Amino acid sequence: MPDNDLSTDEPVLRLDRVGLSYGPKSDVLADVSLSLRPGSMTFLTGPSGSGKSTLLRLAYLALRPTAGRVSLFGVETNRLRRRDLAPLRRRVGVVFQEFRLLDHLSAYDNVALPLRITGRPEASYRQDVIDLLGWVGLGDRLEARPATLSGGEKQRVAIARAVVGKPDLLIADEPTGNVDEEMGERLYRLFRELNRRLKTTVLIATHDMALVRRAKNDVLRLAEGMVVRVPLDQREGQP
Amino acid sequence: MSRAAPLLPREDAREAALFFVVCALCFLAAFSGLIARAAYAAADAWTSEVAGEITIRVRGPEADTQRAVEIIAKTEGIASAHALTREESEELLKPWLGAGGVPAGLNLPRLIAAEGAAGAGDSVAAALKEANINATVDDHETWSADARRVTGTIGLVALSAVALLGATGIAVIAFATHATMLARRDIVELLHLSGARDDFIAGLFERRFLMLGVQAGALGALLAFGTAAFILFAVRQTDEQAWLLPQLSLSLADGLILGLSPLIAGAASMFAANLTVKRSLSDMV
Repeated sequence: MPDNDLSTDEPVLRLDRVGLSYGPKSDVLADVSLSLRPGSMTFLTGPSGSGKSTLLRLAYLALRPTAGRVSLFGVETNRLRRRDLAPLRRRVGVVFQEFRLLDHLSAYDNVALPLRITGRPEASYRQDVIDLLGWVGLGDRLEARPATLSGGEKQRVAIARAVVGKPDLLIADEPTGNVDEEMGERLYRLFRELNRRLKTTVLIATHDMALVRRAKNDVLRLAEGMVVRVPLDQREGQP
Repeated sequence: MSRAAPLLPREDAREAALFFVVCALCFLAAFSGLIARAAYAAADAWTSEVAGEITIRVRGPEADTQRAVEIIAKTEGIASAHALTREESEELLKPWLGAGGVPAGLNLPRLIAAEGAAGAGDSVAAALKEANINATVDDHETWSADARRVTGTIGLVALSAVALLGATGIAVIAFATHATMLARRDIVELLHLSGARDDFIAGLFERRFLMLGVQAGALGALLAFGTAAFILFAVRQTDEQAWLLPQLSLSLADGLILGLSPLIAGAASMFAANLTVKRSLSDMV
């Protein structure tokens, strides 16, 4: 796969004093600021219910903040019209916590979905999809439906779908949450390879502190509605 | 390897029920359309048969009849005029008196049949009055106007039914689209978050409901055609009866109504699906 060409040092994702609330006394996020450099790989940790998934939803434009600014690839998204968000979304690959594979489609069709919606003819991406499924170790499961796949296999299909469009930003929500430690390690290596080979910026929300400690990547901690960067020597203890 | 599997899975039970409803609505709409067309055609047939025909009943002595024919023939706007023979008068009375005919001794009204331009009846009446001939002139205008009013009302009611059924169809499809969207919100959300434009997502539903509308509409139109053909067969008239009611038949206009029904059903389904999906999508960021 060709490397992504991010020719600017503009942050891939920037949240500036972002807040999100569903009412006067129900702040999910109070005052979040963060910035992801192009080609970086970052873990987002924090206790359950701290708002990690909500923060990711803001990042992949499933939500709009009630305060502050969210910028993607240098574009401030708050001011964009709905229809102008679609091209930005295509530059973001998302691995959802609950996979979100379509039950009636094969592994091949699930992975091909982001390319299909661009209107490209299938012949132009068919081999890429097959190669990608081979790369995640599912070259012999192209026609398998999600119902027949194991948790780890589903996760790898979801990852292949997230990266098939060669996104500039890859967001993964608890990608190792539903798999055993060994599979978690394999998935991490997959993300790291994507990050190194394609220079894809990666943001992973996780509870898995053992993985975070081993990885030695940037770590952000979300707690009480705010994000802080965690130095390398302070990564022990609870998420 | 299978290619381009449909992004929307088939919803057999729900779509079978919807297919039935749309089919029934199309049947009723197409049938109402046929009724409206038949009503207007009947009005045309009735009025065109008597248009320009004038019947004059002479009440005076026999000599007045011949004199009246001569006056009428010379009246402006009259193309021809002749006094009906006893045989012709008896033929007119046959439907009421039966094949036995009129008793030989019975006096029949002396009638003159004339043909002319519309409005010539007034000129004839004036000319006969001037000639001091006691006669009644009937140019069938009153009867034609009544016939047109009755058939026009039937046609209007039928067209209203078509409009109502069409609106009901759109509402049903909109409801079904919404239900399908709710049932497959996972697909819609995934496509949306993957960067699919609203038109792309709406297109999936449009194509699904276009096909359903066309197929259900075609079946509904076919059933309407079958029903109309059965009714035509059941109420077919003998030549002797045909003078009273216009002979009904299926025409090119009926074919157009039946042929357009599936297309209109498909287009309405597409429209309803597009509207519903885009409205639902507008709730998403």
